[in-house]
Amino acid sequence: MSSATTSSEPSTDGSEEPAPRRGPGTLWLALAIVVGLTLGYAAGLLTPTVTAPGDDSVEAGFVRDMSTHHAQAVEMAMIMHTKAQDDQVASLAADIAITQQGQIGTMSAWLRDWNLNPTGEQPRMAWMPNSQGSLTNGLMPGMATPEQLTQLRSATGVEAERLFLDLMLTHHLGGIHMAEEVVDLSDNEDIDWLAGTMVASQQREIQAIQVIKTELPAN
Amino acid sequence: MSISTQGGPERRPSVVKPAAGAKPTSPGGGKPSRSGGGKGPRKPITPVKVAQQRSWGPILMFVAVGALAVGIIGYGAFAVIKGSESWEDRAAGIDGITNYRETDPGMLTANHKTGPQTYKTTPPVGGDHNAAWQNCMGDVYDAPIANEHAVHSMEHGAVWITYKTGLPQDQIDTLASKVRGNEFMLMSPIDGLSNNISVQAWGYQLKVDTADDDRIDSFIRALRINATQEPNAGCSSGVTATGTTPRDLGNGTQQGS
Repeated sequence: MSSATTSSEPSTDGSEEPAPRRGPGTLWLALAIVVGLTLGYAAGLLTPTVTAPGDDSVEAGFVRDMSTHHAQAVEMAMIMHTKAQDDQVASLAADIAITQQGQIGTMSAWLRDWNLNPTGEQPRMAWMPNSQGSLTNGLMPGMATPEQLTQLRSATGVEAERLFLDLMLTHHLGGIHMAEEVVDLSDNEDIDWLAGTMVASQQREIQAIQVIKTELPAN
Repeated sequence: MSISTQGGPERRPSVVKPAAGAKPTSPGGGKPSRSGGGKGPRKPITPVKVAQQRSWGPILMFVAVGALAVGIIGYGAFAVIKGSESWEDRAAGIDGITNYRETDPGMLTANHKTGPQTYKTTPPVGGDHNAAWQNCMGDVYDAPIANEHAVHSMEHGAVWITYKTGLPQDQIDTLASKVRGNEFMLMSPIDGLSNNISVQAWGYQLKVDTADDDRIDSFIRALRINATQEPNAGCSSGVTATGTTPRDLGNGTQQGS
């Protein structure tokens, strides 16, 4: 239709032959732009969903497991904070509780972004290769046992502070191990960033713990 | 006709090209009977034909792009729908689950009250509760605990596994393995429970007879943390003692939820 009408017009001018070809060309161009924009928009909408880590991914496994690992650090730090006598221990406990609870919030928001449940289908630590045997009574590396937590709750004074520092040192070593693993395994920038800071900050805290231990009064 | 066929075999099946190029020179000789015979002779119509032939390229391109777009969008939509099943849908898919958020939302109040509270269901699945929550850091309690604390734990997103006092030890161990090491989980016995096992989260309840019923795992996956009324609320710093009498904080009533 349109090509026929446009072709009839140039015949009168005679010299302008390219003009008629621009008519349908413009239409196609407009269509191409519309299709391209639609395609791009749809792809943009769907890409985050399609490329988000899956339920059994390394990223999801790490986020779930590290959240649980962190939660126990928060628990021990809160137990200690209520009864710490030494200023350094009280400060360290507050730092650990606030920092790690905040990181739990960050990680749980990622799970929501990825449209994943807090509880995965995979067992704990399954995201880590050769992780068989790393669970002890359901506890991940470095985690305190229920008995140790009971001990920490009932202990007082310097005894409680020493126990806390020892438990937290062990806890940090387990957490650093998991964080280092995920930095190796995952290319996710957010994961690598947060896990990288976990490794660095917990290593610094281990050094601080060792210093504080030497400065605590005996007994 | 005979000329074109003779010229073709000399240089392999490139017969098509010389035939097309021969059109303008010999319109009536090669293929007049098909289509070129009627439209060929007139000058104004010939450019129209050329325009139509050129447009096939874009058409094919757009068809291809369109098919690609539909494919990508279709796959994306499929992935979105498949991956976006809400936890509510997952919970609703569990056979035998009761959703009190739908059937009796009025009982799911969440005020802090001191002293013992009366609950419509046993075990409770929500309602007014004590200001202190039961510690739910994967705690496995070996004696009954206070409803008033456990309800607060569920408000924070915990799944509470209860079992009838006297359940065989191997089943208790199976249940405990689902709890230990997992925050937002707690477990305790209840004397005279109607079923062997009752699992609950805020507003939801599932009663089963054996510890290896895989609906327990489905319940935990769907509702642990997801059922929270206070996102990012915690499970530590709670009551760790057993006993069915709630332990009031301070003297008077507390505020907040």
